[in-house]
Amino acid sequence: MSELASSPDSAVSTPTKMRPGDLDELRAAILDTSGPVGISGAGTAADWAGPLGAVETVLDTTALTGVITHNPGDMTVSVRAGTPLRALVEELSSHGQHVSLDAARIADGATVGGLLATGDAGPSALVYGTLRDLVIGTTLVLADGTIAHNGGHVIKNVAGFDLAKLMHGSYGTLAVVAEVVLRLHPVPKATATLALDCPLDEAPDHAARVLGGPFEPVALEWVDGTLLVRIEGTEAALDARAARVAEALDTDERHFRRTGSDDGAARQGWGAHDAAVRGAPGSAVLRIGALPSRLPALIGSLPGVTAVTAGLGTGVATVSLDPAGVAEAHALVHAAGGTSVVRSRPAGSDVPAWGPPPSAVAVLRSVKNVFDPQGRFGPGRFDPWM
Amino acid sequence: MALDPAVRSAFEQVLEPRDVISDPVGCRAYECDGLTGYRVTPELVLLPRDAAQVAAAVAVCAEHRVPFVARGAGTGLSGGALPVAEGVVISLARLKRVLEVDPVNRRAVVEPGVTNLEITAAASPHGLYYAPDPSSQQVCTIGGNVAENSGGAHCLKYGFTTNHVYSAEVVLPDGSVVTLGTDTGEQAGPDLRGVFLGSEGTLGITTKITVKLLRTPETVRTLLADFPSVRAAGDVVSDIVSAGIVPAAVEMMDTLAIEAAEEAVHAGYTVGVPAALVVELDGPVEECDSQFEQVKAICEKHGCTRLHIAGSPEERAAIWRGRKAAFAAVGRISPDYFVQDGVVPRTRLAEVLDRIAELGRDAGIRVANVFHAGDGNLHPLVLYSAALGETERAEKLSGEIAELCVEFGGSLSGEHGIGTDKACSMPKMFTEDDLAVMQRVRDAFDGHNICNPGKVLPTPRLCGERPGKYEPHPLEESGVIERL
Ligand SMILES: Cc1cc2nc3c(=O)[nH]c(=O)nc-3n(C[C@H](O)[C@H](O)[C@H](O)COP(=O)(O)OP(=O)(O)OC[C@H]3O[C@@H](n4cnc5c(N)ncnc54)[C@H](O)[C@@H]3O)c2cc1C
Repeated sequence: MSELASSPDSAVSTPTKMRPGDLDELRAAILDTSGPVGISGAGTAADWAGPLGAVETVLDTTALTGVITHNPGDMTVSVRAGTPLRALVEELSSHGQHVSLDAARIADGATVGGLLATGDAGPSALVYGTLRDLVIGTTLVLADGTIAHNGGHVIKNVAGFDLAKLMHGSYGTLAVVAEVVLRLHPVPKATATLALDCPLDEAPDHAARVLGGPFEPVALEWVDGTLLVRIEGTEAALDARAARVAEALDTDERHFRRTGSDDGAARQGWGAHDAAVRGAPGSAVLRIGALPSRLPALIGSLPGVTAVTAGLGTGVATVSLDPAGVAEAHALVHAAGGTSVVRSRPAGSDVPAWGPPPSAVAVLRSVKNVFDPQGRFGPGRFDPWM
Repeated sequence: MALDPAVRSAFEQVLEPRDVISDPVGCRAYECDGLTGYRVTPELVLLPRDAAQVAAAVAVCAEHRVPFVARGAGTGLSGGALPVAEGVVISLARLKRVLEVDPVNRRAVVEPGVTNLEITAAASPHGLYYAPDPSSQQVCTIGGNVAENSGGAHCLKYGFTTNHVYSAEVVLPDGSVVTLGTDTGEQAGPDLRGVFLGSEGTLGITTKITVKLLRTPETVRTLLADFPSVRAAGDVVSDIVSAGIVPAAVEMMDTLAIEAAEEAVHAGYTVGVPAALVVELDGPVEECDSQFEQVKAICEKHGCTRLHIAGSPEERAAIWRGRKAAFAAVGRISPDYFVQDGVVPRTRLAEVLDRIAELGRDAGIRVANVFHAGDGNLHPLVLYSAALGETERAEKLSGEIAELCVEFGGSLSGEHGIGTDKACSMPKMFTEDDLAVMQRVRDAFDGHNICNPGKVLPTPRLCGERPGKYEPHPLEESGVIERL
């Protein structure tokens, strides 16, 4: 294991960085230290949620990499949690399989564990769900060094409590995710994206026609003035369905951009989405979930919005806004029955990460308490809730 | 030790006195679920009429430290709703309202006593349906489905209950009411809804559930194919999967299961063939048609001896009738049976089935197989005769089969749950530490251990006792539901 003491310009507050290379080293690193610990992956979402408070140790998971077992016939894979999902997907591609997750930051090298801990997902959550729906097992290391497995290597499994779900959105506050077992899907043979320019307030009607039809769109997203609809299927059948979607959208042909059927080209239309997720410079980025029918009006009511991507089927949006408006935005989202969390903020700005707490905040606190009674992991991430 | 009369009157304060059942005959109706070998008569049965009464009743339990067990329709197959001696049963049967169907946001809000099929019935005027389809769906409740994370034949493509629930209003074991989950995939922090789903009634009682509805598929194509061996049928499943096709359902039956089903319902299966597959595709018409051709070709490649394609909704229904009748139908070829629910990696199906047959031969006991081949979820039926004194051998074999699945890298249970039945096998699948961490989660929700105690996680007391034999569920005997 490498122990890299960072440059001591602020000797008191500089945490010791530990970079364990396997499960035993990870456990030893936790047992050999006391005091607060920050868990880090590739650092692609280091400033999401509440800012990490003062820690003595940073546990870097990026040396915990590689596939442990891939069972192509079963379409399952177990990997060490520090593996970048991008690398995993590349490795699986020769088998025609992938992890059905299209979060924008996968391209930046985000790790499997980091994506799980931040509950990140992209537009195809419409059909495939988020990582909570794709993770079928985890190996965790708790703050007291306990190693706990749950789930397994089969997609259908109801034995025991589904602790992997608790890791989803835990932001490194409950346990270190050491290994993850994932359910895989076939890489679609062909993909097409249809694009329609329209204002946000008109988009729901278009979306309703697509969602109400038999088309099984895998993603449906309004991105700063354009509605994107993605479908996947076989080479032979895709074009006919794309034509039917175009017809359902019932608009002038020239409004459509039909991208090629290979994945790379189909991705093109989604570059704007990826950019909107990363956020506009100088803005705070807020991730919002709300009932799909309420989402457009809610977004319209937020102060100082500079960029938007909104899943009209999922109800999940990412908006960039003036940092000064974040507190008000949280309140508005809460009033609309939704949830919101800050994903990034301009350096030095002090914005509240979370809005009003959910009704189950007492349960969150007791779960935190049984996993990490001394509060070692991820201090500050859920301030002021716990 | 009987319940303190003060507790009973506390329940009578918060519920109508007539909704507090204490006479032993009335209580005995709740003594078991679908795992009929285990029976315990509760002290009281409570029949609340709304969520507020559920919360008030649980608060009384919390105050007096009275253990309680939630109960839906009582069709569970793992003894999850088995009452606790000196405890009360809280039945959700009267919370039966479909509160809202929201076609725009494609979801429904229902009370826990609503049956699985009633949700689809309420949604279907909008061209929507609720996807998870346990074969007990006519009677089992959504509250029970949430607790068990129930599956069904069509979960291969669409996922399990956990993938179809947005949020649940839950009465926690201290009587407080919270909402777990949100209206979207975005959660405020760790996914508490996800851990509640499948917790088998041990973390609280759900009183309101928001479920996802899907659009009814445009096209459905179903075929029934016979094969010269289980292995050939297994290879078809593998080839379908590696062709990148995700069927809505892939089900397999072996000779004994086919024989039983045909005898019972005459659905047109071929008696005597070693294996039959039911493959169903659904979705947009173009996709469905092009993939269906591929599936047919794969069946032919593996020596399928007969390929029957459902040409009408009636023919499709007949194929499913045969498949779904298999369970109850084994009653025709065997006086008694146990059912197991283990899961193995799909690629090891043929191997595991050989081993099960071997174990059966060694024990001198027949095993029929009918199962969800697409996801490796076996349902071996261990056929025996109690009258001939085979119970003990059958029971032992049944346990061996469940544990065999774990040895093959699978799971003790795919959908029926651990409950009382398999709690003692949990150490085969999980280490002491794994189980201790699960216990911590339970403690976080239920500090006084009053919420369905003794289920899921092994306890020394439970694991010393022995189960009785399987008996058909009363609804199964009367033919209302079938076992899958
Ligand atoms: C013939 C037959 C066929 C079956 N086929 C299938 C199948 O295909 N797939 C499948 O997955 N299962 C199947 N089952 C099993 C069973 O139907 C399911 O487990 C079902 O979800 C149980 O629902 P229930 O309402 O009967 O629950 P119950 O049996 O009453 O309870 C089951 C568990 O849920 C808890 N519970 C009930 N209501 C609540 C609530 N509101 N809040 C919290 N906890 C609660 C109970 O405490 C218990 O632990 C079958 C059973 C039978 C008898």
